[in-house]
Amino acid sequence: MTPAISVSGLTRRYRGHAALDEVDIVIEPGTITGLLGRNGAGKTTLLRILAGQEFPSSGTARIHGAAPAEDEQVLRRLVFVREDQVYPDIKIGQALRAASWCCPNWDGEFASSLLEDFGLQTNKPVKRLSRGQRSALGIAIGLAARAEVTLFDEPYAGLDAVARQLFYDRLLADFAAFPRTVLLSTHLIDEAAALFENVVVIDRGRVVLNAAVDELRGAVTRVSGPCLAVDALAEGRAVWERRRLGSQASVVLAGPIAPGDREQARLSGVDLTPLSLQQIAVQAAAGAFGSAPRIGLESGFATERTCA
Amino acid sequence: MSTWVKMARYNLQRRENYLVLPWILPFCFAIAVVTVGRQPGRNGAAYLASYFIYFFTLGLQAVGRSLPFALTLGASRRSFYSGTALLGAVLAMLSGLMLAALQSTERATGGWGMSMRFFRVPYLLDGPWYDTWLTSAVVLFTLFVYGIWYGIVHSRWGLLGTLTFIAAQTLVIVAGVLLASFEHWRFWSIGSPTFAGLTTVGLTGVIAALAGLLVVGGQATIRRATV
Repeated sequence: MTPAISVSGLTRRYRGHAALDEVDIVIEPGTITGLLGRNGAGKTTLLRILAGQEFPSSGTARIHGAAPAEDEQVLRRLVFVREDQVYPDIKIGQALRAASWCCPNWDGEFASSLLEDFGLQTNKPVKRLSRGQRSALGIAIGLAARAEVTLFDEPYAGLDAVARQLFYDRLLADFAAFPRTVLLSTHLIDEAAALFENVVVIDRGRVVLNAAVDELRGAVTRVSGPCLAVDALAEGRAVWERRRLGSQASVVLAGPIAPGDREQARLSGVDLTPLSLQQIAVQAAAGAFGSAPRIGLESGFATERTCA
Repeated sequence: MSTWVKMARYNLQRRENYLVLPWILPFCFAIAVVTVGRQPGRNGAAYLASYFIYFFTLGLQAVGRSLPFALTLGASRRSFYSGTALLGAVLAMLSGLMLAALQSTERATGGWGMSMRFFRVPYLLDGPWYDTWLTSAVVLFTLFVYGIWYGIVHSRWGLLGTLTFIAAQTLVIVAGVLLASFEHWRFWSIGSPTFAGLTTVGLTGVIAALAGLLVVGGQATIRRATV
């Protein structure tokens, strides 16, 4: 099957600075993927290239097997909702009308219900919207477009927690009814974690983690307790992070914890806490996984790649 | 609906830009009446220039804030340009027709009853109605695509790029004026006001060719524009 999104050797340089550096990603159709990373990591540049709004210095980016730049057959199959979306001086209703002309799978009723959910009125000029309301408009367009490939770049900047939850709920419900490929860039990782099937973490223009969320869940554990007991449990394992305070120690262990080890931890008063997706992303951005185009868990957790 | 038509309609969404158009002529006419209406010659045709200049502004405004959202909706740069230029062409045709009708009315009423020239511009717009329609439509469209090109240059290279663009054109224009005023070549004759011996229709053809160049230049510039 042709991947929905495939990126190979993608590099984008700005006056000597590599915003993206030899990025390789493959995303299968019908999945929701989280695109994670620090500010300036290269997430927006990647999404802009995928949407044909930016051009790579080298490498290729393909949507359903074709390069998106200036190819309307490809472009009409995707929608890109940006955090900093610039709108012309039009009203909300006019923006939706323009979207209905351009998006072949547009659902006007769904768009109207989203506007109602977010408390937006069609006769209001876009330039008078608050930041959160603009984000809500972008979300309404991005969801109602039902494009085969939907790219969201921090779509909920300025939205309150209730509105963000509304976005997650509506996205999941509509995704279930109309499966599509969604690539969502976000900083609110734990909040959005339930949406993701896969995550791609980018740091300084390079992919540092590309894995299925199911594989990551419970695969990295923080072990804390008496130094001796923690050291005993960590022996021979990949240790990403090690902290020590007096007689207490805390380490981050990569790899699953066997039932025998859990029992040993319980008996010796050691706490085992699985790292959340956000904590894993932080570790990845800090270099715990090394830097490789596609990191499976087996290779990612290899001892020699750790930063113990 | 083709993407060009979609983009033309998309541009028309910013209605306030186009709602200004019908008000420019009566406004300028009123100014011409009170300023030159009582003077000898009563030639207010220069005030008509504002209508043409507004077309340049329309083209200029068509790019800046409209292009990013058009790309978000899945249009290509090429289609956005073509759709916007299509809108400009239709507006220019309609405006040209209106100017030709008003010119005929001005002639029939003896210069609005006061021997005033407003829609009759010597040499350029002073022939039969169809010449006026053709010439004004071509000039309006040329100014529109010229404005689009400026908008693209500003969108792509910012203020510095725009200033460089202006400087380059200034050099070309100055060189052109020097050539045109070269005594032996006689591009411009005061005794018989024509440009390089061209008829109005001939000059319209030259301007149309220039519009073609502007379209090619604009298309080439927008193809690598990023938002």
